[in-house]
Amino acid sequence: MRTSTRAQGRRPALPAALTALWRIPSARVALLVLAGIAFLAVFGEALAPHDPIKQYTDEVLQGPSAAHLLGTDYVGRDVLSRLMAGTRLSVLGAVEAVLIGAALGVPTGLASVWLGPRLEWISLRISDTLVILPFTVFAIAVAGTLGNGLQQAMIAVGVLISPTFYRITRSVALGLRKAQYVEAAELMGATEWWTLRTHIWSKVLPNVAVTSAQATGSALLVVASLSFLGLGVTPPAPTWGGMLSADLGYLAQQPWAPIFPVALMMATVGSLNLLADAIRDVTGAAPRRRRRRRRGISHVPAPRKEQHDVVPV
Amino acid sequence: MSLTATAATGWGAVRGRGERLARVRGWAVSLRGVVLVTATVLFLASLITFALGALSDSNPAAAVLGETATEEDIARMNHEFGLDRPLVVQYLSWVGNALTGDLGRSWFTTIPVTDSIRTALPVDLSIAALALLLALVIGGSAGIGAALSNGGILDRGVTLVCSLLGTLPPFVMGMGLIVLFSVKLQLLPAGGYVALEQDPVQWLRFAILPSFALSLDVASSIARQLRTSLVGELHQNYAIGAEMRGFRRRRVLFGHVLRNAAGPTLAVIGLAIPLVIGGAVVTEKLFALPGIAQLSLDAAEKGDVPVVLGTLLVTAVIVVAASLVVNILQNLLNPAARRSDGVARAARGGAR
Repeated sequence: MRTSTRAQGRRPALPAALTALWRIPSARVALLVLAGIAFLAVFGEALAPHDPIKQYTDEVLQGPSAAHLLGTDYVGRDVLSRLMAGTRLSVLGAVEAVLIGAALGVPTGLASVWLGPRLEWISLRISDTLVILPFTVFAIAVAGTLGNGLQQAMIAVGVLISPTFYRITRSVALGLRKAQYVEAAELMGATEWWTLRTHIWSKVLPNVAVTSAQATGSALLVVASLSFLGLGVTPPAPTWGGMLSADLGYLAQQPWAPIFPVALMMATVGSLNLLADAIRDVTGAAPRRRRRRRRGISHVPAPRKEQHDVVPV
Repeated sequence: MSLTATAATGWGAVRGRGERLARVRGWAVSLRGVVLVTATVLFLASLITFALGALSDSNPAAAVLGETATEEDIARMNHEFGLDRPLVVQYLSWVGNALTGDLGRSWFTTIPVTDSIRTALPVDLSIAALALLLALVIGGSAGIGAALSNGGILDRGVTLVCSLLGTLPPFVMGMGLIVLFSVKLQLLPAGGYVALEQDPVQWLRFAILPSFALSLDVASSIARQLRTSLVGELHQNYAIGAEMRGFRRRRVLFGHVLRNAAGPTLAVIGLAIPLVIGGAVVTEKLFALPGIAQLSLDAAEKGDVPVVLGTLLVTAVIVVAASLVVNILQNLLNPAARRSDGVARAARGGAR
């Protein structure tokens, strides 16, 4: 708890938060795995033992061997190389979608608390509407009208992710607005902008971090689903989802082939989930699921905790 | 937020003569809320859908004739499909027609979009319904089992399986099922479809694998939520009291606690409906089912805008309707939620 209060100072110090994270074993594993994935995303294509789109036509659907460590696919492309080179597109897509979602959701979530009931109502309805649109159906519609490309797909996913950010930002800000020290600051003449920057933002940020980690995980799965449907990335370029889609036709010959992309995906998404939990533990961000939901109380952090988190300057 | 304020006052304050009147008024107010919220959400959904079409730079002539389309062709076909009118007029006529069940015609085949959707939709709906049923059974029993063995092997096993399932794309389990049941055991077909009304037994043979694959995601959310709420409720005074009076834990759970714990679980199901419908699209492709996904993917590839917009709109309406049903159920089940804001909340799809 000592570390958590340190990380929660007036100006959230990133190194302190990272140190605190590093002390949690599960977070350490997660960070290492994610660092590995990031490394693959940057250097994967350069380090791949074979050209990821070169077709070794006489070595189609091979099992693992010395030449092809993870075997070859249905046109004889090296699976290991495709996995390594495909990391970039698979991960970048998800990260881009989450950035778009956060850029749309966080400011509107903050604004909804301050801009009066009418705009608040409208923004809530927009969020409700985006929540009901299924990712895949919406992405197909976007591909059909605006063209099938990575950018369009990512914008579609980002827009549909934004309510998650909107809601978490909004609920934290809503709870803090009534907190005594915020009211006190306003009574003493602080402008809304100043309170926002000084008191609200440092509490919203950990929640946004937790949500980002989780959302990146789910975006990764959505992106995989989309490339499975043939949306986003066009076929010869390797992605994990696209590899799974190609494996589908050859399950009878190579039932074990999906294991490799799936294992990478599980490692990445699992690490992101572990990281989200760890950030929550370290920073005291509001837990996502509370038993009290059924009573219709929105996810406002308990006031006792808020005040506990504040470090007197 | 007004919701929180109303929730805090509660029913308890309303008693005696005014009770019935207040209840009727509460229902009226909440009904107005439902209608307003649902209408707004549907309006916004239609607006988003239409905006996609309006932002699209494809037009029927270019889509059908390709590069050979001349200026006259484009103008003629735009006129034919009413695309030369102002956007507001186009939107109003599109929505007006949609309300009467007419979503326009495909640019390619000129088949009415409603007809194509009507033939494709039952596939997804029957799969999704079976998946929800399976999810309730699987997730429900896993959640109850985990709560009963709180901290035991079963509990840890369920938690582990649930978190592993959460890290997988939804279609991977489907691939695993194909390998196991179609390739190895050769018990069930790996793809294809027979309509439910044609032959229910054959339908089940084709539908069981896709539905099972689709249900796992929701089942794990249900199991997780049910376990959490059950464990929480079992620590409430009334449950401990009942246990102390000598009732078995099992009896307390099924007789008292389950009903209270079901509320949040229903909320989870409400939130999962877009996931089920969206997952149905992927599952459909995985098992080569002739449903909405095939229809809209084909249309998207060709740039057949009316079909694409029609499917999106119909999907949105289905999700809204399903969420409404789930949340009205939740309302009926949980008297505490039957406050003036209960149904209004329901309309927003159990929004947090």
